[in-house]
Amino acid sequence: MLFEVNGLSKRFGQIVALRDVSFQVRAGEILGLIGPNGAGKTTLFECMAGVLPCDSGGLRGVRHRSSVLFYVPDGIAPWPEQPLGWTLDYTVGFFRGRAALRDEVISQLNLSELLRQPIGTLSKGQRKRALLAIGLLTPQDTLLIDEPFDGLDLRQMRDVGEALRTHAVRGRTLFLSIHQIADAARVCDRFVLLSNGRVCGEGTVPELAALAGGNSQNLEEVFLALT
Amino acid sequence: MWLLVKEWRELLVSRSWWVLLIAMGPLVGVSFISSVRTYAEVSGLHGTAAGVGEALSPLIGVWAPTFSACELAAVFLLPFVAIRLVSGDHQSGALKLEMQQALPAFSRVAVKGVVALAGWLIAMAPPLSSILLWKSYGGIVYAPEMASLVGGHVLNAALTIGLGAAAASIAENPSTAAILTLSFTIGTWIMNFFGAIQGGWWERAAGYTPAAMVAEFQHGLVRLDTVLIGAVLVMTGLAIAAIWMRLGVRVSRRGMESVAVCVLSAGAILVCTLIRPSWDLSESRGNSFARTDERALRSIPAPLRIEVHLAPEDPRRIDLEHRALSKLRRIMPKLRVDYISSTSIGLFEQTSAGYGEIRYFLGGKSTMSRATTAEGVLESIYSLTGVIPPNESDGDIFRGHPLAVQPAGAAAVFYGVWPAIVLLSGVLVRRRLR
Repeated sequence: MLFEVNGLSKRFGQIVALRDVSFQVRAGEILGLIGPNGAGKTTLFECMAGVLPCDSGGLRGVRHRSSVLFYVPDGIAPWPEQPLGWTLDYTVGFFRGRAALRDEVISQLNLSELLRQPIGTLSKGQRKRALLAIGLLTPQDTLLIDEPFDGLDLRQMRDVGEALRTHAVRGRTLFLSIHQIADAARVCDRFVLLSNGRVCGEGTVPELAALAGGNSQNLEEVFLALT
Repeated sequence: MWLLVKEWRELLVSRSWWVLLIAMGPLVGVSFISSVRTYAEVSGLHGTAAGVGEALSPLIGVWAPTFSACELAAVFLLPFVAIRLVSGDHQSGALKLEMQQALPAFSRVAVKGVVALAGWLIAMAPPLSSILLWKSYGGIVYAPEMASLVGGHVLNAALTIGLGAAAASIAENPSTAAILTLSFTIGTWIMNFFGAIQGGWWERAAGYTPAAMVAEFQHGLVRLDTVLIGAVLVMTGLAIAAIWMRLGVRVSRRGMESVAVCVLSAGAILVCTLIRPSWDLSESRGNSFARTDERALRSIPAPLRIEVHLAPEDPRRIDLEHRALSKLRRIMPKLRVDYISSTSIGLFEQTSAGYGEIRYFLGGKSTMSRATTAEGVLESIYSLTGVIPPNESDGDIFRGHPLAVQPAGAAAVFYGVWPAIVLLSGVLVRRRLR
C-alpha cells in the first residue's frame, strides 16, 4: 500500500459531498475512481490534493502531500496566453519535474505540432492532452487525474491509455477519475466506486463482482449492482 | 527564478499593462505641455524677484503637475494590471497547479508584486523622458527633489499593487476586485474630505492616505514615518493576498488570519507615527524655515505649546498649518498643537471671543497673535522665548529658475512616438514569446 484515504468527509453547507470515504492506493497501479456525475469524484480529488479543506479524515501514510501527489484538474486552461512548449518547460523547471521525459511525453500525446500554440487557443481535446503532459512531467510518484479521457476521440483515448500504462509500468501510480465506466474498464487495474459521496466498493473487477454477489464480470453491471 | 520568468511573461501578455503603457504617453503629454506653457508665461512676467521664485520652482511648476499623470494612472489603470496578475491564475486554474509546489504563498505574491512594480517603472518612462526634454529646453533639474518625486510615485504604485493584489486574492473575480480597489481609493478620498472638515484624528489619518503621501513627495518632503507606513501598508496588502491565495484553507481561518495581520499592521502604523525624522529635498526648501531660523528654534529648550482657535475649514488654519506649523514640527519634535473650535467651518464663531487667536505657551509664559504666516509665527515664538531673531541670509532665499520656452517636440514625443513605440513593442514581444 502506498497510502490510504481514511474517513474523509466534506460538506458544502447542507449538501454532503463526501461521507466517510476510505480506500487504499497501491504503488504502481492504475486506480480508477468511477461514479456518475455528482458522485463527488472531483471533490474527493481536490480534498486529497489539498485544494479543498476536508471536514474530517484525510490521507494516512503521506507526510508531505506535495512531495507525493500531484493533481491534474479537469476543465482548466492554465497560463492561457503562454505557448504549450514553454509551459512544459515551465512545468519541468518550476516543479523540478522530469526533464528527461519531455520529448517522450510530447511524442506519446502527439503534441509536437502544438508546441507554439498558446494553451488558451487549444481545442478541448488538445488542452486535455496538454494537461496530461503537464501532469506526467511533474516529479511526484502519484498522479490524480480528473477525467483524463474527457474530450478525446477514440484513437486519442487509446493512445493516452497506452501512454498512461507505460508510465504506470515504470512505477508511477495513477489515480484516474472517470465517469464513463467502459473507459475505466479498459485502462484501470483496480476501482473505487463512488456514489452519492460514499464508497460502494473497492477492488478489481472480480473482487467487485464478488462483492455484488453476481456472476457478471462486466464493470457496468457490477457498478449498477453496487450503487 | 522560474516563477519570476513566468510572472514577467504574464505581464508581457497582459493587455491591461499595454493599455497602461500607451495611456501614459498622452496623460504625461497633456500635463507636461500645459505646465511648461504656464511656467513660461509666469517666467515671462518679471523673472526672479524674491517671492516670485517659489512659483518658479520647477518642482512645483512643472514636475508636480507632469508626474500627476502617474497618480491618475496609479488610481485608474495600475490596479487592473495587479488584479490581472493575481486573478489570472485563479481564473485559468493555474493556481490549482502552482499551489501544489511547496512554495510559501507570500513568496508567490511577492514575485507578482515585484513584477508589477517593474512594469510600473517601465510605464514611468514618459514622465522620466520629460526630464530630458526639459533639460534640452535649458531647464534646471535638481536631482534630490526629482528623486523625492519619483520615489513618492513608486511608493504610491506599490501601495496600489498591494491593494490590488489583496482585492484580487479575496474576490477571485477580477470585476469584483476592481470594484473593491476603487471603493478603497474612494474611501481614502472621503477620509481626506472628513479630515479637512472634522480635523482631529481624521486629519491625522488623512495625512497617510496615498494622495496625501504623494502630495508630500511632490513638495520634496520625505518623512520617514510616511515611508515606513507606506511600506507597512504594502506588506499588509501582500500578506492578505497571500492568505487568500492559499487553497485548501477554510474561509473562517483565512478571515481570522487577515484580522490578525490587520491588527499587527495597525500596531506597526501607530509605532511609525511616532517616528519624526524627515528631509526637505526641495531646492526651494519650501518645507523648511530658513537655516538661521532653524538654528534659533533648535536652541529653544522647553517644549512649546500652541493653541489655535480656528475651525478646520477656516482658510487661516490651513495657511497656518502649511506655512508654519508643518515646518515647525520638523524642527521642534516636542511641539504640541491644540486646535480648538466648536464648529467645522467657523463661520458663526467669528464673533466669539478668542476665535482666530493663536496662543503660544512656553515655560509658564504665554503670548497671543492672530498672524498665520511663517514670519508672524516666528515673531511670536521669538518674542515669547526672548531669542533674538536671526538676520536673513541672502543665500537662504530661493530665486527660482524662470524659463520662458515653448514645449517644442513634446507633443510629437508623447502623442506620436511613445504610443508608436509601445504598439510596435507589443507586436514584437507577443511574436517573440511564441
